[in-house]
Amino acid sequence: MKFEQTIELPGVSPERVWAFVMDVPSMAKCIPGCDGVEDLGGGRYKAVVKIKVGPIGLSLASEISIVEKDETNRTASLQVEAADKRVGGAVKATMSMKLTPAGDGSKLEVSTDANVMGRIGDFGQSVIRKKADQTLQEVAENLRKALA
Amino acid sequence: MRTYDYSAPASIDEALAALKEYGDDAEFIAGGTSLILMMQQGLVQPGKVIGLGNIKELRGIKRSADGGLEVGAMTTHRQLETSPEAFAYAAALPQSLGVIATIRIRNQATLGGNLVHADPAQDPPPVLIALDATIDVVKAGGGARSIAMESFFTDYFETTIGEDELLRSVKVPPMPAGSRLAYKKFLPRTEDDYATVSVAVRLGVNPDGTCKDIRIGLGALAVTPLRGKAVEKALLGQKLTPESIREAAALVRDEVDPLDDVRGSAGYKREMARVWTERTIASLAGVELKAKA
Repeated sequence: MKFEQTIELPGVSPERVWAFVMDVPSMAKCIPGCDGVEDLGGGRYKAVVKIKVGPIGLSLASEISIVEKDETNRTASLQVEAADKRVGGAVKATMSMKLTPAGDGSKLEVSTDANVMGRIGDFGQSVIRKKADQTLQEVAENLRKALA
Repeated sequence: MRTYDYSAPASIDEALAALKEYGDDAEFIAGGTSLILMMQQGLVQPGKVIGLGNIKELRGIKRSADGGLEVGAMTTHRQLETSPEAFAYAAALPQSLGVIATIRIRNQATLGGNLVHADPAQDPPPVLIALDATIDVVKAGGGARSIAMESFFTDYFETTIGEDELLRSVKVPPMPAGSRLAYKKFLPRTEDDYATVSVAVRLGVNPDGTCKDIRIGLGALAVTPLRGKAVEKALLGQKLTPESIREAAALVRDEVDPLDDVRGSAGYKREMARVWTERTIASLAGVELKAKA
């Protein structure tokens, strides 16, 4: 399942955006339901993301690793592995980011390739896509607010 | 399946008190046709299940003094399908319940459970949106409120009902004089499937052939059931002809936002929404549609 997202951040310099998004604990605060980020060292982090769809509540124990980081070109790649042991499902995602100047501000392009497995996957790809789209829009909105 | 504690209170107050006590860990169960499946799949794992089957206040179908209809939340689909009161109100209402799944499901599933489950492909919501129904909800510790059916659903599996509230009944206002109801469910796969798209229309026509009343409910065409407001607006007060119906029905394509699934792509469903909206309105208006040249 692939997602493409472009976040326009007018009036915010690429330097500021880069520093913010590369600081995983700050960025995690922009993710709805994300709690308790723990720095494991070496660009690895642990967090719990809670997602609710009606009566279905998922608690995804996640591990986030920064696998590539190019300060000069402001590109990065993150790997996310998340699992809900109780429900029995997992998500593996690779996120690629590219930050460029745009007018008086910045443009952040995020490309996500996610695999949803187990019972979460059985739930229906179209519903998962819709929910993921909503969540990504909320992340973008929270990021704009945090950098405003 | 995780083991759980079960109780079946005899009153709404007791049910809401139990809900308050167990909070997030509790689920109400009505007919159980959806919840049990989710529990078996492990998607929902409540520690406490509160059965609503013993609560008499949640049962019954009655006509109101003004000619409307009130249906208790625990009324099964089959009870409503075979209800003389519902037939007297509008024959297409009980008939729309008769196309849900199979008779075994209809004997078990309830109207309240169906609405709270908030699956956008279910049959009662578009029909009840077309009928301008309201939902009566009671709150823990007293208090009640009414919610318009068209604003009840907020997202896939989500409604405006609070975590300390219980759906008591559904009220349908009297049919406007001369108006009629129709429900069409497009089932290209099997007879007992969920709708690929579904359309409910309440329509009233003046003696001069103009539209005096129109309300449209749409199912399986977004993450929630929808009301087809643009189509209604385009036709209200207008002469109902094959051309005007065709033009208005085309507006539905921009009102819907379907999901791709095994029943068809979003684009296909968008087009089927137009086709079935046109056919449903035409059938009620007594207008014969001409094949495109």
